[in-house]
Amino acid sequence: MRNSFTKILVLALIIAGLGVLSIYSSTFQKEGTQWQEIYKRQILWLAIGLVCFFFISKFNYRKLWDANYFIYALAVFFLLLVFGLGVIRLGAQRWLRIAWFNFQPSEFAKLAMIIFLARYFSRKSTDDTSLLSGKFGIFRGIILPLIFVGLPMFLIIEQPDLGSGLMLMLVFVGLLYLTHVRIKYILGLLAALVLPLPFFWHFLHDYQKQRLLVFLNPNIDPLGAGYTVIQSRIAIGSGGLFGRGWLHGSQSQLYFLPESHTDFIFATFSEQWGFLGSALLVLIYYLIIRQGFVIAQRTQDSFGKLLAYGISLLLALQVFINIAMNMGLAPVVGLPLPLMSYGGSSVLVTFIALGILVNIDRTRNVF
Amino acid sequence: MERKSILNLIVIFMFSALILGLLNLSIFQGGKFRRLSDSNCIRLISQSGSRGNILDRHGEIIAGSKISYDLMILPQDLEHIDQVFVSISRILGVDVKELKVAFKKNFISSSVPVSVATNIKLKDAILLGEHKIDQPSIIVVAKPLRYYPHGALACHLLGYLGEIDRWRLTKLEDYGYKTKDIVGFGGVEEKYDYYLRQEEGGLSVEVNHRGKFMRVLGFQPPRNGKDVTLTLDLKMQKIVEDNLNGKKGSVILMDSSSGEILALANFPNFNPAIFVDQRSKVIARLFNDPDAPFLNRAVGSSYPPASVFKVVLACAGLELKKINLSTSFVCQGSIMVGARKFSCWDVHGAEDIFQAIAHSCDVFFYKTGLLVGAQNIHDYALKLGLGRNMGFELAGETSGFIPSPLWRKINKFQSWFDGDTANLSIGQGDCLVSPLQAANMLAVFANRGYLLTPFVVKAVGGLDFSAKKKLIKVPFKKNTFEVIAQGLGKVVADTQGTGNVLAALPVKVAGKTGTAQVSRGGTHAWFVGFFPEDKPKYVICVFLENGGPGHAASVVAKQIIEALNNQGLI
Repeated sequence: MRNSFTKILVLALIIAGLGVLSIYSSTFQKEGTQWQEIYKRQILWLAIGLVCFFFISKFNYRKLWDANYFIYALAVFFLLLVFGLGVIRLGAQRWLRIAWFNFQPSEFAKLAMIIFLARYFSRKSTDDTSLLSGKFGIFRGIILPLIFVGLPMFLIIEQPDLGSGLMLMLVFVGLLYLTHVRIKYILGLLAALVLPLPFFWHFLHDYQKQRLLVFLNPNIDPLGAGYTVIQSRIAIGSGGLFGRGWLHGSQSQLYFLPESHTDFIFATFSEQWGFLGSALLVLIYYLIIRQGFVIAQRTQDSFGKLLAYGISLLLALQVFINIAMNMGLAPVVGLPLPLMSYGGSSVLVTFIALGILVNIDRTRNVF
Repeated sequence: MERKSILNLIVIFMFSALILGLLNLSIFQGGKFRRLSDSNCIRLISQSGSRGNILDRHGEIIAGSKISYDLMILPQDLEHIDQVFVSISRILGVDVKELKVAFKKNFISSSVPVSVATNIKLKDAILLGEHKIDQPSIIVVAKPLRYYPHGALACHLLGYLGEIDRWRLTKLEDYGYKTKDIVGFGGVEEKYDYYLRQEEGGLSVEVNHRGKFMRVLGFQPPRNGKDVTLTLDLKMQKIVEDNLNGKKGSVILMDSSSGEILALANFPNFNPAIFVDQRSKVIARLFNDPDAPFLNRAVGSSYPPASVFKVVLACAGLELKKINLSTSFVCQGSIMVGARKFSCWDVHGAEDIFQAIAHSCDVFFYKTGLLVGAQNIHDYALKLGLGRNMGFELAGETSGFIPSPLWRKINKFQSWFDGDTANLSIGQGDCLVSPLQAANMLAVFANRGYLLTPFVVKAVGGLDFSAKKKLIKVPFKKNTFEVIAQGLGKVVADTQGTGNVLAALPVKVAGKTGTAQVSRGGTHAWFVGFFPEDKPKYVICVFLENGGPGHAASVVAKQIIEALNNQGLI
């Protein structure tokens, strides 16, 4: 039991430490103390996250089963709150101002949806390991959960935060796949999602259309929407094999790269640490995710199993989409890199998710 | 396969794709992105050194550099655009619109100063400099610019400066020349451009995403070009130009033992400063001028030598023993060659070689020429440096031309007649000689037997170049030189001599006049000589294009030597 706890904790701390170094390097030269102190805030968030991690890892995850509807309602409530009185930043209404920090409910909603779906597809008794979903027809297997997921998803996309919305959908499809819902239902769902896309095009915001077009060819708008991708590719590419050294990349140090401490922190890191550093980082992420899969496979309890798969999948997708977007292989959607990007909500939620993961493994051994 | 294994594989595949993408960006395309990254944040600000000076033999500046002031504006510090431009326009007296147009045209990036006005007055530069306190965007830059303290003086030897043209660029690219470089055209400026040209230095600075200056990455100090010292004597050159002024032609004053050119002037001439100020209308007018003011007549243009050529005949006759000191021919004013009558310009009676040279008797030399033969005349002319390149260092030297029966046969399919020999004997016909060749030929008699290589560059960057010039011993009998030198002395000393006008000088001069008949326009006037007669030090050649009889050239020569003597230069 010590094993997975230590492994995940060490790997997460390495990533978080590299994240703090990168945040420091991209902001220490900026004018204004609130910029120069930003890495301290991140350390504070990490400390809070660690406390949560230790606490949650002691807290029996089975209690989430009972709290599940409450968690779901809370997530939807927060999202509605954002809709009403959220803070508008960078043209989007994604944050709630609570005391001295801004909270991003969509981060929390992702985890809440995973808990909800894991509960939905599994039985209460820990002794009965079989899944319900195999017997589910199309209504209980697809349509009902889609309605439950669709509500928060709609609220998130309307913020607008296309990235987090799509993330929810991908995790949903992934969990459907794992819960033995019949393949033809899943394919039907995908077809129903993809086919009306040209129709949905009209409902996308102009900036979202622009981003998708720019993803296809960043050079159509080199100073506008394509600027970030171009600069981020330059940052990653100019790092070469060994990188330009900590505090030495011109792209991030001289602010050619926008969002260098949040969504594009991978490019900042890659410029300074080169191919070797960033390949190692990707590997560490993979090791955490792999640990999640291992925990999921070891767990007999179907709720725990699905929960562990869901958390691992969420982490894998976030990491993949964020890094791919940094390299210009995916459209620019506002997704942070878990544990690295500056941002309290993301750090906190990721540590809570990892805490649940560790707890699943620990509780399993108790049985 | 189980669904979870498939999912596991999908995740592995996703992360491998990330690694491959990284490999592609930072390893395979790393070099390209590194360059893009550098071009994002590195800017070069160039600083130019000054071009080397061109000096006379005593170190006086003929072409130097002066500081010119340019007004630049640094866009990143520019606040209240209108206010700044209004105050600038008040000082310079230039319209605000013009300033704004220049600013827009030259704008590169916010960290690179933009040139708004060039070549402004020192007084304005100081006034603008004072404005820098409240307008930090104003920068006054001092930049060296070519400066000619004596105007058009020696312009044909100097050449002028201009932006490099395509033809020169293709040839010189390998030597570090770039487009928009200022290079020499013609004369010393072109020939020694590689030494004269300055090396550009500059700052490389790092800027941030707004183009704002961050720090200096490196600095290379600009290097000034090397100075070129000419053999010219500024004072002599001035005297020569003053006396030639207004008469089309050229004057050469050369050291008779070394080949150093002390003065060389042509008229019409030009002021090379017009190329610095870029007064394009004046330049265009000069280029279209039928009198060819850019032509270095002394070196690059050849004319019938007329009576000056008789020196060659005298040499050939004496060397081939066709005539000797006791030979005399009777001049009755004309002679029949074949069926054609060749006349002399006067009736001289019996003349020996000394008198024939002094009086420039045509009949004597017709007869000598017929005795010697055309091919021999040609050969002796070449021995005295005519009809071929002297190896003068500046570009554009002409070789002149001496006809011969063989040439006539090969190129014109015509036979050579005695009449042609007679014509050649008095330097007419197809025979052509440049003023510098004529001067160089006379130097052989002044120094008694050495054919020189005339040159104008004494030293480059302090390194002496003059020692390398070759001397060719002319294989004539010593007596021949003495006889001809004596004859040349009589041209001036004899009361009937064609150059008798020079006898009034306190310095004894020897020389030969010439009056060349040309198909169009008046005759060309020649005077080629050396002085002092007993111990020759200088060779002078005065050539006036369509300038009348040889007497006219003699008068100019007299005025020049008189002025040189009065100023104690000889």
